[in-house]
Amino acid sequence: MERNGKLLVFFIVLSVIGVIFITRLFFLQIVDTSNYYKALAYGSNEITIYPARGTIVDRNGKLLVYNDAVYDLMAVPKNIKSIDKVKLCNVLQIDTIELNTRIKKASRYNAREASIIYKSLPFNIYSQLQEILYDYPAFFIETKIDRRYNINGAAHLLGYMGEVSEKQLQVEKYYKPGDTKGVSGMEKSYELYLRGKKGKRIVLVDKFSRQQGSFAGGKFDSMPVAGQNIIASIDLNLQEYGEQLMKNKFGSIVAIEPATGEVLSIVNSPNYDPNVLVGQSRNKNFSALLLDPRKPLFNRALKAPYPPGSTFKTVQALIGQQEGVLFPDTRYPCHGGYHMGSLTVGCHSHASPLDLESSIQQSCNAYYCFVYRKILDNPRYSSVQEAYIKWTQYLNSFGIGIKTEIDLPEESPGIVKKTQYFEKVFGKNWRSSNVISLSIGQGEIGLTPLQMANVATVIANRGYYFTPHVVKAIGDEKLLPEKFKIKHKALIDPTYYDSIIAGMARVCKPGGTAGRTGIEGIAICAKTGTAQNPHGAHHSIFIAFPPRDNPKIAIAVVVENGGYGADYAAPIANLMIERYLATDKTKTTRQDMLDRMLNSNLVGSSIYDAPKPDSTLRKTLLPLTIKP
Amino acid sequence: MNYHRPEENIRIDWLTVIIYILIVSFGAMNIYSANSTIDHTFIFDLTMEYGKQFLWIGVAAIIVFLILLLDPKFFNFSGYGIYIIVIIMLLILLGTGVINKGAQAWFKIGSFKLQPSEFAKYATSLALAKYLGTFDVKFLGRKNIAICFGIILLPMALTLAQNDTGSALVFVSFFLVLYREGLSGWYLVIGLYMAALFVFTILFPSLYLIFGILLICGAVFYFFKKYAQMLWLSLIVFFASAIFILSVDFIFAKVLQPHQQQRILVTLNQDVAEYYPRKAKEFSLFKIDANRKDKKASKRDYSYNVRQSKISIGAGRWVGNGFNNGTQTKAKLVPEQHTDFIFCTVGEEYGFIGSTLFVLVYIFFIGRLYYMAERQKNVFSRVYGYCTASVIFFHFFVNVGMALGVLPVIGIPLPFMSYGGSSLFSFSMMLFTFLKLDANRVNEISSVY
Repeated sequence: MERNGKLLVFFIVLSVIGVIFITRLFFLQIVDTSNYYKALAYGSNEITIYPARGTIVDRNGKLLVYNDAVYDLMAVPKNIKSIDKVKLCNVLQIDTIELNTRIKKASRYNAREASIIYKSLPFNIYSQLQEILYDYPAFFIETKIDRRYNINGAAHLLGYMGEVSEKQLQVEKYYKPGDTKGVSGMEKSYELYLRGKKGKRIVLVDKFSRQQGSFAGGKFDSMPVAGQNIIASIDLNLQEYGEQLMKNKFGSIVAIEPATGEVLSIVNSPNYDPNVLVGQSRNKNFSALLLDPRKPLFNRALKAPYPPGSTFKTVQALIGQQEGVLFPDTRYPCHGGYHMGSLTVGCHSHASPLDLESSIQQSCNAYYCFVYRKILDNPRYSSVQEAYIKWTQYLNSFGIGIKTEIDLPEESPGIVKKTQYFEKVFGKNWRSSNVISLSIGQGEIGLTPLQMANVATVIANRGYYFTPHVVKAIGDEKLLPEKFKIKHKALIDPTYYDSIIAGMARVCKPGGTAGRTGIEGIAICAKTGTAQNPHGAHHSIFIAFPPRDNPKIAIAVVVENGGYGADYAAPIANLMIERYLATDKTKTTRQDMLDRMLNSNLVGSSIYDAPKPDSTLRKTLLPLTIKP
Repeated sequence: MNYHRPEENIRIDWLTVIIYILIVSFGAMNIYSANSTIDHTFIFDLTMEYGKQFLWIGVAAIIVFLILLLDPKFFNFSGYGIYIIVIIMLLILLGTGVINKGAQAWFKIGSFKLQPSEFAKYATSLALAKYLGTFDVKFLGRKNIAICFGIILLPMALTLAQNDTGSALVFVSFFLVLYREGLSGWYLVIGLYMAALFVFTILFPSLYLIFGILLICGAVFYFFKKYAQMLWLSLIVFFASAIFILSVDFIFAKVLQPHQQQRILVTLNQDVAEYYPRKAKEFSLFKIDANRKDKKASKRDYSYNVRQSKISIGAGRWVGNGFNNGTQTKAKLVPEQHTDFIFCTVGEEYGFIGSTLFVLVYIFFIGRLYYMAERQKNVFSRVYGYCTASVIFFHFFVNVGMALGVLPVIGIPLPFMSYGGSSLFSFSMMLFTFLKLDANRVNEISSVY
């Protein structure tokens, strides 16, 4: 017998090959996970089952936003074999040529993927189609859900849906390409609650994307969870009324329930119908809105800082008292305005001198120039700058110059300048006279209508506010986020509000700046404002709350280029208040005022330019002739 | 010499039989997995390949039984006869065979297609064993080597002529047997050197390659010039290599068919669309047409197999998806999965742990065959055993290597696993012939060698 060592050679070669194979297996199966993920993508199709998105109702339970099912007829062109096209066309009510071109078009796009053959099937066709569809295995109906809005306004509040962008897809793994999400308004801020949870069904597919049964016996499938319904704090009736009143005007109304911080309405004008941003023509309409020179997409209530004008005097009076430089019986003279060297701040004619209460009622400019200089030149502080910083802290405690943190996206903090800004403009040792216009809410100050309403809320509550919010309750458990239950206190002692409120209570009474707009039986406390601005006629501004004790509503109205505060803003605010407080929501005691508001048109009278924050602020300081 | 008595001294190697049964059953499971659909789940469904495989397994059992009944001397006695019959069949095939998948390799008998090249391996093994066992060939002389080469190369050439490159390549495994029987290891070294040159010729410009070999040969000559024969050796190596490189160029460009070129290029990670223009620019004696239009489309087809195979195996991860649960397998994403790519199913459904176990069992199986071959007392049985082990080894190596993407796509089955009657019958015949010989070895008197 011949024995040689060659058997060992064979064993060695076998072992080496075994090691190579096992190493290769280890690399392919364990180290290189890309194959695994490719396999997931190749071998199975995840069919997403979309949950119903949550609805939104108003504070009285009236439907604002809901879902509507849309049925699309889909087909996989590759799988369309010999079918009775005539029968199908009869049901679809199109001719065979049309059907053929649609199939051809889908086939050109991707013959093995389902494409839409008939979008948004009318219901009668849909039901007929259901009966014959088993004869057409390549065809199927896909149910999609579209948003519907039960109001043709409030678009900025409710928001709209949009396709999730590629960038967001990388960050938020929940979404898949083609998914939609809320991109503005409540749809965006409550997306997490409204969207629910997608379900999925994983099916095995072969290389032609044909389904081969469920994956792993449906072990990984899941049912969708419907989105949570939301109760908005909005009063639909008031919202619609406000939108009517603001027709043909530019501006905004914000109404808040002072006791809770719930926003009762947010009106923007111009507005648009949220339903135009749904469905097929969404993109077309969106670009039209985007290109519209009236900028209907711009959310004035939250993003446009306006000089508050004389409404700001209420805040100044409160700060002056808190700082100990102003008392209810403090009187200042006014001789057609405030004079200091070459500087003059004009004022209208009224009795002089006035005390604090009357200064609010009469809206005396000179009075607040004195007050503001007292605040800034307070000997308690080593410099004007220090006093100014203290002053801005007061403002912030009113929600001015900071975001109110309302539960809507894209809010502007308004404009409150830092001392550095004035150093740049006036030099290192700027004086109180440099910023004197701030005393009457002009110049380097900007409040959004929301912030104005918040100021009214603070005064109405005599010293505090809740973060304004448009949601009243979320889901079946009627939850309200904790942050909306926190009281934010203004840095003003409650006792200082009395004389201010007393003054405000006289504004809508004869002798007040809006004496002709008051409504019988409503104890309204208000302040007018007429804001000079570089965009044309003055902005008409009004803040108010009724009744004097336990106020039910705090409101701010801004009508751009509307003239005096009493011209447009005051009547609109009064009508809104009347409507909100009345039990009969159809009648008004001031039909004259209502007609005037509905028939007025301010749009034609000015070349409109949407307010931009921080634009050409210095111009407003020049010859100041502030009206009540 | 003892006369054989079936009742006595028959010692079948049951371990091998058990492993055989395990592998065949495991193969059937995997074929079922790869082949069944949601409409076809009944395991004996004869309209499906997995159903037929059960039938083939039954037939194979009968064949095995018959072989075990035969007198072991029958194989020695009929070695040449079977060889001649198979050669004749291969010759007939050249004229009349059924063309399937580009190869003219099948006899059609009813609905069953017989592939004689599968049986050619069996016949060649018997003939080679018979030749080496008959004569007193202690040392392989040139004449012996020439005859052995002839025995191997004749069926190989005929198979190649049928366009069945994969099956033809299997005959290379017989050279391993010759190595065991005394063929100088240099033949294998030269063979490996040629294979390496072949790969390099495809990857690099021929001229650079020839120049590089010239440098190496020159350096070897320079450092060893005190040995007179080094000059000649260097010159011979250089010229032989140069001629080989040029002929590879020629063969690759002009003789190989596009699909064969592409399989090789894909394995070497070459972009086919880019390969021909590049090759055409190089200096070469054989101009290649740079504008071969059909290449881009078909490149995908061949790389597709390998890519899908790798994805499928990769999907298994540690423990795999479990029997009949492989997503790639059930989705039928790997072409030829139940035949040549059956290992993908193992990879996907049983994961790294299962595949490793499978590879280990298979290697143990082949190792055991070599071990058993070595313990044979006569040359015929030993050579035959080595042939059996080497053929199975070659199949295993090429088949699994191709599924793992480390070897070119050469369509040869994984013995006892892949779907197919011819392959299962021929391998079962080969294996059990050897087991029969092995069982009988105690009855043999020790041969001279």
